[in-house]
Amino acid sequence: MAQSTVRDEPRDQTAASRPWQVAAEQLSNTASGLDWLTERRTAALVRADCLGLPDQSQEEWRYTSLTPFARRWLDHLAGARLPAVPEPVPPTLAGVFSVDIVDGRLCAPLLATPPGLTIQSLQNLGAEWRTRVEALLGSVVSPTDTSASDSLVDLNTALLTDVVLVTTEPGASVAMPIHIRLQATAASALCQTRLLVDLAAGSRLTLSLEFTGTAAVLVNAVSQMCLGRDSELNLVRVQALPDDGMLLESTSIEAKDSAAVTVTSVDLGGQLSRQSLTVRLAGTGASATVHGLFLADGQRHIDNRTRLQHEAPSTTSREFFRGIAADRGHGVFSGKIIVQPGAAGSNAALTNRNLLLTTTAEIDTKPELEIYVDDVRCSHGATTGQLDANALFYLQSRGLDLSTARQVLTAAFLRDSLTGIPLPELRERLEARLESRLQAQSGAAR
Amino acid sequence: MSTLLEVSGLRVAVGGKEILTGLDLVVRPGEVHAIMGPNGSGKSTLAHVLSGRDGYVVTGGSVSYQGLDLLAMAPEERARAGLFLGFQYPVEIPGVSNVYLLRSALNARRSARGESEIDAAGFLRLVKARARLMQMDESFLQRGVNEGFSGGEKKRNEIFQMAVLEPVLAILDETDSGLDIDALKIVSNGVNSLRDPARAFILVTHYQRLLDYIRPDFVHVLAGGRIIRTGDHTLALELEADGYEQILAAAST
Ligand SMILES: Nc1ncnc2c1ncn2[C@@H]1O[C@H](COP(=O)(O)OP(=O)(O)O)[C@@H](O)[C@H]1O
Ligand SMILES: [Mg+2]
Repeated sequence: MAQSTVRDEPRDQTAASRPWQVAAEQLSNTASGLDWLTERRTAALVRADCLGLPDQSQEEWRYTSLTPFARRWLDHLAGARLPAVPEPVPPTLAGVFSVDIVDGRLCAPLLATPPGLTIQSLQNLGAEWRTRVEALLGSVVSPTDTSASDSLVDLNTALLTDVVLVTTEPGASVAMPIHIRLQATAASALCQTRLLVDLAAGSRLTLSLEFTGTAAVLVNAVSQMCLGRDSELNLVRVQALPDDGMLLESTSIEAKDSAAVTVTSVDLGGQLSRQSLTVRLAGTGASATVHGLFLADGQRHIDNRTRLQHEAPSTTSREFFRGIAADRGHGVFSGKIIVQPGAAGSNAALTNRNLLLTTTAEIDTKPELEIYVDDVRCSHGATTGQLDANALFYLQSRGLDLSTARQVLTAAFLRDSLTGIPLPELRERLEARLESRLQAQSGAAR
Repeated sequence: MSTLLEVSGLRVAVGGKEILTGLDLVVRPGEVHAIMGPNGSGKSTLAHVLSGRDGYVVTGGSVSYQGLDLLAMAPEERARAGLFLGFQYPVEIPGVSNVYLLRSALNARRSARGESEIDAAGFLRLVKARARLMQMDESFLQRGVNEGFSGGEKKRNEIFQMAVLEPVLAILDETDSGLDIDALKIVSNGVNSLRDPARAFILVTHYQRLLDYIRPDFVHVLAGGRIIRTGDHTLALELEADGYEQILAAAST
């Protein structure tokens, strides 16, 4: 790899940089016919090398340390290689169009996609899409958000094994929800998932992403979504990794004029999960609604960082984030609303409510407003507490025993966050899983 | 007639302060008792202690209910044994529907009596009939418990729940306060329609107004942490005319 020999020496020449480079070279060698990608990989690698892994001295990473995992990562990098195209997996939900991405690679073959929708991977990327994909791979998640330019996105670009591109045709209303299962099965490798979603003007799509995996997987996922004028995206994102799995996720969504995005994010698995979600309301009248829910029980560490950025006039954002922590779980929520000078007449509201089920659990929350224009309406607030004693007694006074009353109140707390999920079967499954985990909770608490 | 509830020499402290200082009360099936008294005299304290709320320390006396030691029972056990508390300040519980609460409450009582769960059709019939009695729109059923209800709607919902659960002893804590005259009539009508030789009521109230609609068998005046006077429904009228002061003064001499 010629470029790597002439690049500047990275500032921080730690042991971390070499394995990345070796891994990127291994991948470049195995992915033939994709020379243009090699350039992207190299550029990304140089940046990642300079930045190093995010650490807790950065405000954005204050509560989440990757140090315990660094060793595991480096070991995994040595095994980096292009996995074989995986076999399709039987669908788990009815009434949806199922797509599987296994260890970062799109499963083939895809049966007929619903009208108005195209799903491509590097294997079958149409020539007309090549420039677009190249541009997206070259851009950091959010050009105006310097804090988001941590090395995870670059690392993903340097080491990606595939790119999955989901596009709609102008004006198309894709009737069937698309359910993408992102599975990590290779415990010996660092799984890189790269997803690009491009909604043409006036189109509509319901998309759910479900992260699952086998034991001890490490996943670094990057998604970039672009919503054209007047388009609508209803996005559901579920993190359901095994208890020893780890997910680092960077998602950036850009909404053009009058585009509307609804996000429902649920974290219920993993040992460590860190999601960074940036929504840019870049066009006049664009709007975003974000519902979030996490359950940090056991030893789980779940960190959600959201950033809603109003860049154009009359943009609207609504965010409702809820967290539950129990046992020795640790939840983190940092949500920022930014209203930039050009965003007059905007309207933003953020609420974060957290529930601590045991005294050993911890939740750190940080809602923030940054406003650079007068003519806006913004509100934000966060609360963290226990179940309401008055409500508990009320239920008991009606004959429900204490542990049932606790379960009922906790389930009510979380159910509220799930009502927006447009896939009834998925919603019910999530409710059932969360409730059974809470049942285990209240059983253990006694 | 047998005794349903017997409170003897009950002393209760809250936050280190003795609020009830030796309260006696006997309630038999079929009776309606009104407990009146100035604000802060301990009426809600009595209602809460009887229903098992945390934070009250019983420092003396006893309470027997259906021959059982009531104070030894958990709040839910009391409810399953037919005790019902209508809250002075009903709690809003978003995310738990009224209908869910009622079904759970009813089934908890039934299973305590060794009965099977109520069937869906029977439950729906019962709930709809009671909603009609309380002139409540059926859409209330699917809403969160008291969620976004007005003060009057919350009180009406308490009586509606009582009507569905058909308790043996209902303690209604200031169910009349904050009601306009129409709502007061609906609530009173709900209570009256449940009057039964096997069922007793303790109406905690600050005003005589409610007793124009529900005629009590006994009126008790609670002051200084104990019942200082007991009479029939005319005592309420006397209180209304003369105020509490005269009775308090008479009792202290
Ligand atoms: N949690 C508490 N801690 C301390 N004092 C309390 C508490 N709850 C009630 N009290 C006091 O107990 C007294 C009786 O209150 P309450 O039973 O509510 O009266 P009522 O219902 O007759 O108006 C009042 O003086 C009140 O201030
Ligand atoms: Mg009171």
